[in-house]
Amino acid sequence: MIGERTLTLLGARAMAVTREVGGIAIMTGQVLRALLPPRLDGRELVRNLHRMGNRSLPIVALTAFFAGGLMVVQSAPFVKRLGATSLAGWAAGYAVLREIGPILIGLMFSGRVGANNTAELGTMTVTEQLDGLRALAIDPIRYLIVPRVLAMLIMLTALTIIGDLVALVGAAVVAFLVLDIDWRTMYFSFADNLTPHDFFHGVWKSVAFGAAIALTSCYFGVTVKGGAVGVGRAVNAAVVAAAVSIMLLDFFITYATA
Amino acid sequence: MSGRAFVEFVGVEKAFAGKPVLRGMDLAIGKGEILYIIGTSGVGKSVTIKHLVGFLPIDKGEIWFDGQRVDRLDERGFYPVRRRVGMVFQNATLFDAMTLTENVALPLRKHQGLGWKAALADARRRLAQVYLADFADRYPAELSDGMRKRAAIARTLTLAPEVVLFDEPTTGLDPVNARRIDRLIRELSRTLGVTAVVVSHDLPSIMSVADRVAFLYQGRVHALATPAELAASADPIVQQFIAGRSSGPMETPGF
Repeated sequence: MIGERTLTLLGARAMAVTREVGGIAIMTGQVLRALLPPRLDGRELVRNLHRMGNRSLPIVALTAFFAGGLMVVQSAPFVKRLGATSLAGWAAGYAVLREIGPILIGLMFSGRVGANNTAELGTMTVTEQLDGLRALAIDPIRYLIVPRVLAMLIMLTALTIIGDLVALVGAAVVAFLVLDIDWRTMYFSFADNLTPHDFFHGVWKSVAFGAAIALTSCYFGVTVKGGAVGVGRAVNAAVVAAAVSIMLLDFFITYATA
Repeated sequence: MSGRAFVEFVGVEKAFAGKPVLRGMDLAIGKGEILYIIGTSGVGKSVTIKHLVGFLPIDKGEIWFDGQRVDRLDERGFYPVRRRVGMVFQNATLFDAMTLTENVALPLRKHQGLGWKAALADARRRLAQVYLADFADRYPAELSDGMRKRAAIARTLTLAPEVVLFDEPTTGLDPVNARRIDRLIRELSRTLGVTAVVVSHDLPSIMSVADRVAFLYQGRVHALATPAELAASADPIVQQFIAGRSSGPMETPGF
């Protein structure tokens, strides 16, 4: 039998999750409202695009290259056993474009950019820099949050597209080195078996993941309480919330479009 | 418009977690006046000024600014008020990712419609007015508390506010820097006609700068007088605070 204490803890946790989901929903509304009419701070948007996107490119490219290669390594025993070299590219490409690319890059982006964003906004919150903005009659949502949300949406999508291409190159390189499959075979395996739908399926996912990472990281950043300890807790909560959101969104998008 | 003062608090009450801080506080501040709010820690001095710009909602009472009741405004409704009522925080709250010039240029760009280069040029001029021309390209973390506070004042003045709220502007500063801040507050009032509301514990500042002093005690204005009148007050509670005596009739929660 479930004890009263357990029920109380479960209830408190459910309330906390509900409060956080509600808070993120309110922030989503505030961001959308701030976009109508769109009066963006161009400098802040460009600054965020650069630091969130450009600086993430090397690590995303590296990860994507080996992720693509990994797909080939995993499928190598079956390809060799069945002699299905013409399908090696399809197997790797299908997995990369639809699942591995968006999820892996999304999680990496969350760990690098989302966590950094929460820490920065959290520090600004506990040091009253956000109140400093409000005191200057500058809306923090419009000036700080909207450019970050847009930058994360744009850059995660762009990084996923670039990462997909790099992963396909990685798959081709590993196929050549491990399975001795030449470039032409891999190219035609990609071109003949993969459709634009496979590519856009992953791109739409990356847009959704970008929104989830942006909104959770901003929300947990601006609602920090309790100084440095609070900032640490907020970063932790933001990364967990983003990872859970990515998995849930991935499932539902895949299910809905299957 | 009625006969209201430029800034007026009427019966303001505020509690945190059920613990009352302000208990029906009344306070009227005239245009162009330099009013210091003093009192022991936790008595509600900073809370009072934060109410005026909507950083904290009041529980009960009314707050009036230039004939307009402001305590019922929502966040967006407070933005026009904040363009007229600037605030300098205790810890300056400069944006640490920006240089001093960029910090000061931000509100110029947002509210004066200046382009980036024009805003930077104007920001440098304003920093020179607070004796920070040589530090304009430094980041806040590279500067002393006094410099940061002067930069924060320069940033606040970009809005050309009619009222400036100072939250402990000289706390943590050496006497030289503290007197520089005092001088800035006086100049603001005398040359620009700015109304200054200053939360402070700094008796030398209070005695040399204030037009009037509001002494908060137990959530209300216990005494409102000129610095000289306050210093000469026979009230034992006022005397204990002015003299800084640890024992006396004053009840200080937590001790």
